[in-house]
Amino acid sequence: MPDRIELLQGTLDLLILQVLQWGPQHGHGIGQAIRARSQEVLQIEHGSLYPALHRLERQGWLESEWKISEANRRARYYKLTPRGKRQLIEEQSRWKQLVRAVARTMKPVKE
Amino acid sequence: MRRRIFPQRASDTDLDDEFAAHLEIETKQLMERGMTREKAEAEARRLFGSRALIAENTREVFGFAAFSRLWQDVRYAARILRRAPAFTAAAVLSLALGIGATTAVFSIADNVFLRPLPYADAGRLVWLGVRFSSIGMDFLPSPDYVAWRRDNRTFQALAATRASISTNMALGSSDQIEVRVGHVSANFLDTFAVTPAAGRNFRAEEELPNGPKAVLLMYPFWRDHFHTRRDILGSAIALDGQPYTVAAILPQSFVYPVDTPIDLVTTLPVSPTASHRDRSMSTWAVFGRLKPGATIAQARADLDQLYAASKADFPQLFHDDKLVLQSLQEHRAGNVHTLLEILMGAAACLLAIACANVANLLLARWSARSRELAVRAAIGAARGRLARQLFAEVALLIGAGTVAGMLLVVVALHGFVHFAAGEIPRLSEVGVDFRVFGIALLVSVATALIFAGLPALRAGRVDLQSVLQRAARGTAGGHQFLRRALVGVEVALSVILLCGATLLLETLWHLQYDHLGFQPEHLLTVSIPVHGSNFAESAREGLAIEVLADLHRIPGTEAASLAQCTPLTLSGTRTFSRSDRPLPEPFHKGDNIGICGTDSEYLKTTGAHLVEGRDFNDGDRAHPGTVAVINQAASRTYFPGKDAIGKQILGTGGTPWETVVGVVADAKNQGLNHPALPEAWINDTSPGNGGTANLLFLVRTLAPKAAVGRALRDEMRANHAGIFTKVESLDADMAEQTASPRFNTVLLSTFAALAFLMAIVGVYGVLAFSVTQRSAEIGIRMALGATPEAVLKLVMKEGAATLLAGAIAGVGAALLLTRYLTSLLYGVTATDPRLT
Repeated sequence: MPDRIELLQGTLDLLILQVLQWGPQHGHGIGQAIRARSQEVLQIEHGSLYPALHRLERQGWLESEWKISEANRRARYYKLTPRGKRQLIEEQSRWKQLVRAVARTMKPVKE
Repeated sequence: MRRRIFPQRASDTDLDDEFAAHLEIETKQLMERGMTREKAEAEARRLFGSRALIAENTREVFGFAAFSRLWQDVRYAARILRRAPAFTAAAVLSLALGIGATTAVFSIADNVFLRPLPYADAGRLVWLGVRFSSIGMDFLPSPDYVAWRRDNRTFQALAATRASISTNMALGSSDQIEVRVGHVSANFLDTFAVTPAAGRNFRAEEELPNGPKAVLLMYPFWRDHFHTRRDILGSAIALDGQPYTVAAILPQSFVYPVDTPIDLVTTLPVSPTASHRDRSMSTWAVFGRLKPGATIAQARADLDQLYAASKADFPQLFHDDKLVLQSLQEHRAGNVHTLLEILMGAAACLLAIACANVANLLLARWSARSRELAVRAAIGAARGRLARQLFAEVALLIGAGTVAGMLLVVVALHGFVHFAAGEIPRLSEVGVDFRVFGIALLVSVATALIFAGLPALRAGRVDLQSVLQRAARGTAGGHQFLRRALVGVEVALSVILLCGATLLLETLWHLQYDHLGFQPEHLLTVSIPVHGSNFAESAREGLAIEVLADLHRIPGTEAASLAQCTPLTLSGTRTFSRSDRPLPEPFHKGDNIGICGTDSEYLKTTGAHLVEGRDFNDGDRAHPGTVAVINQAASRTYFPGKDAIGKQILGTGGTPWETVVGVVADAKNQGLNHPALPEAWINDTSPGNGGTANLLFLVRTLAPKAAVGRALRDEMRANHAGIFTKVESLDADMAEQTASPRFNTVLLSTFAALAFLMAIVGVYGVLAFSVTQRSAEIGIRMALGATPEAVLKLVMKEGAATLLAGAIAGVGAALLLTRYLTSLLYGVTATDPRLT
């Protein structure tokens, strides 16, 4: 199993929103998608996934409905709201800023 | 609707469904990878982790989580407490007693020391006078009052009051009742800034010795006796046969500044020309109102000058007695500092013991529950949550304790008002109000934080692994030292209280059972006020002889005597003198001797024991003021080692000498809590010898008090209608004198008994708990051959060490602290070795 990395505070929200921009998904699917897309580096604990989903829904960035899943069971599908989309764009740019800033800081100083 | 009311439940089902769905999906996926169904299900559950924890974490997100959790914790705590009724009852009772006692005492202290006096602008009110060291009282002689009131520059008003309340006056015509009268100068209401509820203030001429007389009615008296009739204003009522105009009704909120209930207020005779050289002068208690802006220091400088002038005028009177000036608030609190501090200390001890007890009980319970707590932590309970839950238990206990404590406070304050009315000033102003409740709340929150929080914090810091391991081995423990320390403290505190209570008990014993020098049983006093009435000296004499004859006629009478004092009082004091020594200077201090005029039969009536010589006989009656009987104290003091019989004493140059004819055993003539003062009884009952004009008779009778009173009134009605007689038993008088020490003793003994009981419960709790915990160990010891005695010794050693340490600390502290009791003691010293 590859090394796992602890998620930075606040990045889980961004990842969830990012995954959901491709269409509605249930919680388990979101977790798996993050794991797959990060090539197994990011493992989302169920203990943090559910609170995050409910938090985002309360903030009005996600909405959910019960649908029949691929396992033939009722599952709760989450999808982005328009406000959630705007939030995603905002978070993306903030993330890029952060990455650039961290990268600049980490670069060796030019003589 | 249901969703709205119970959103948490609805979300819980949602969450469960969601969770189950995901579990199913995971399982399916794992099976697709070739796992068996069972293996896949187990793996999926492992991957998901604790379902409860996830649910818990998710619920955090819902806004109502904090509230619902609190409610949950409280319900859980209530359930836990209900399941252990003995523990709960012990804890709540301890807390209720501690909180109740502390709150009651602190409410009184708050009222006495902190609450402003019930007068407008009370900060400007002061108490002033001269502290006469020979009698230990503050007052001002009337000539000085008149001069100071006229000449001061810092007071807006100076009011004089008669320090004692006269109680033997009669009111009205046919139905005589006893009223309690306060005497004040005409500017009294102005000084205290009181406006009558109806009517007018005193007029200036009403305080002149021969001026018209007026009275102000206290509200309760007006309500009870005049049924709030307003037309009483301006009409006349009779006091001792003299007419007084009802000038005003005082407001309901008015509190007379002396702690004796009174019914009405009238004026003192203030003579504007009073001088130190008058044949008689009065002594008054003086209250002042400072001018706006004037300070106590300025007033003191002002009074110093006035006092210097008084001293220069008549140095014999003042000697080096000190001027006293203090704020009224300070003065009113003055005498009870010690008592209240002791009570506060005792109540605080009780509260500390209660807290230690509860902390101990909680620690023991939580130690026993450490396994439960550890298991709950292991299946995902957050540490903070556990601590919060334990705290909820504490909060619930303290809440219940506070409520029960408040009930106790109500009872206790009523008790205080009833039993300590004369002992603690301003008690009538104490009531159960929000202020008292606030104090109770403060006390209990402090209790919670200091004592019960300690075990909660400790229990929150459970070390999972060690607890589970120890639990597996069948032992649990921890907190051993803390618990024993708490019990040690409890024992020490209860020892202190017990020492204090023992001292007071011994005092009460001395007061009650010390040799009295007379027989108080079946002894009645009959008083007839004749001052103020139009009685000439001869009429008074005639009345006395008639009443004596009446008393002798009443069935059951064994002896009756006209006297100016009872065995427990004096009518006055004089400076001792004897014919074979030079006369002392006028106003000479020291060499005091109590004086009491009596006729024959006094010794027979009181049952005093004649040591040598004889009683007055009928022959002495013909020559008043010629013979004296002295007590043993006088004989010891003034005729040490000599025979006093036949000596001539008490001459003043102008009056004839009295010949000592007998010596009697000492009686407590200054009250029960003082040794006997040298005293001489002389065969002269006229008011001229320093006694009052009022007639006082002592009667030894087999008839009950009420019967004598009835019979006497029947006899009097024929010839002396309108004359008021008051019959009291000396037993009752003595009970009154022991009332306040008895109150102190009962209170402190109750505190001590409760403390002792709680300490015993504490010791028992700790020992019983440690024995239960060590039952496996004890079993092994016994299996290996330990005798029951050895086991007993083991347990006893543990308990004895704690007890001994606590007892030693307690005795040490008691020796330091009981000296504060000294002023309340009689016949026993604060460090009496018998106690330790």
